[in-house]
Amino acid sequence: MNNIISNILRFLVFLIVQIVICQHVCLFGYMTPALFLLALFLLPLELPLSLQYLIGFASGFVVDAFAHTLGVSSFSCTLMMFLRPFIVRFLNGTNFNRFESIERPMPGVKDFRWIFLYTLILTSIYQVISVLLGTMTFRNFGHTLLVMIGNTLFTVFVVLCVEYIFYNKVRNES
Amino acid sequence: MNNLIEFFKKAFHIIVLAVLLILSVVMLGKSLAFNEYRLSRAVQGIVGPIQKSGAGMVHRFRLGPENEALVEQNIRLMREQENMFLEKVDTVLTEMSKPDSTNRRQVRLYDYTFAHVIFKTVDRAFNYMIVDKGSRDGIVRDMAVLSPEGVAGVITDVSSNFATVRPILHPESRISAVVNPANQNGTLIWEGDDPHVAYLEAIPQHSEINIGDSVFTNGFSNIFPKGLFIGTVKEVQVGNNASFLTIKVNLATKYADVYTVYLVENLFKSEIDSLKADFKDE
Repeated sequence: MNNIISNILRFLVFLIVQIVICQHVCLFGYMTPALFLLALFLLPLELPLSLQYLIGFASGFVVDAFAHTLGVSSFSCTLMMFLRPFIVRFLNGTNFNRFESIERPMPGVKDFRWIFLYTLILTSIYQVISVLLGTMTFRNFGHTLLVMIGNTLFTVFVVLCVEYIFYNKVRNES
Repeated sequence: MNNLIEFFKKAFHIIVLAVLLILSVVMLGKSLAFNEYRLSRAVQGIVGPIQKSGAGMVHRFRLGPENEALVEQNIRLMREQENMFLEKVDTVLTEMSKPDSTNRRQVRLYDYTFAHVIFKTVDRAFNYMIVDKGSRDGIVRDMAVLSPEGVAGVITDVSSNFATVRPILHPESRISAVVNPANQNGTLIWEGDDPHVAYLEAIPQHSEINIGDSVFTNGFSNIFPKGLFIGTVKEVQVGNNASFLTIKVNLATKYADVYTVYLVENLFKSEIDSLKADFKDE
């Protein structure tokens, strides 16, 4: 129960921060962090898959509504949530069972290398799809690629910073 | 049948995924294709007010730089006004033959800059203001000081980084002014009581002055350009000297709120003054 409330609160906070601040950041003219992805990253893995997709879609839709890009983030987030279990399975190695234990992709539960790769892969999936859908063209692909890489790196940096500042207590508790 | 239900249970999340992805693609396709897409308008109806209030809030913090930009734009516009120039015509003959000939040239008479008030008094008998520009910024004595609303005063003292302004609210302040539409010239003075009201003297009694008439500078002093707004007529009295009216003028400048002021320099001031000095000596 406590977990549900904290998850909902986390979504609210990160979506508001994303809409109010991150959406307006434009480092070097093209790097915009997608901090709200952190809320999706931290979502417990044992949640029903369909609910995970719905949550991804809904948060993407909210971000879209404020960025006037209907469909872009919702598509990318849904797809990212679909690919997330596969990424986790890949990172955990072969002996991963989804129902075996409570899998929480958090610092403390997982080591830095795991968290970094997890964040990097999921973020690049999200950014590649959303940037491609946002531009809808392969013309001037160099710049599109630059935006993808820039966005991914910036997002990974911001997400890891926030994650290790605010969610590092778990290690001490457990 | 059981198999089918089992299949649906297993594949439920795939169906949800497919539905959501298709939904996103539909939204994406429609919002790309039609600007007048109904969903995006509905979303805009909800999101728009939130974004508007947010933008308003953010805008509050950016008012300072925006104000500076507007002040500079104002100066560019004010520099191009007609009363900034002397019209020069080389000879009478060219004027007669070709009224819009190229011999007519404009000579800049006044130039603008701006400053910020860093200290001011309003409620004393001898009021003054200090602005944050001085001789290093090209400020000289007897430059006119304008507020955004109208005439504010005259520069009296200049140090290297600051300058003192004698506002209209000073007993020694004299500004020659004209009342329109009666087109009568007089002198604007202040009598040390109300910071909103000054007196316009030496207006002949026969002139028809109505309450609400506008008072402008007339450009006689060579400090103020012609036609700057000073205020409006508040009250018309017959003075002690029965041949003149005494007119109360509501000053346009709100001294309590003045922060940005425009400074006007007469580029030919010394030349004109030297002529006046010659005249006095005789």
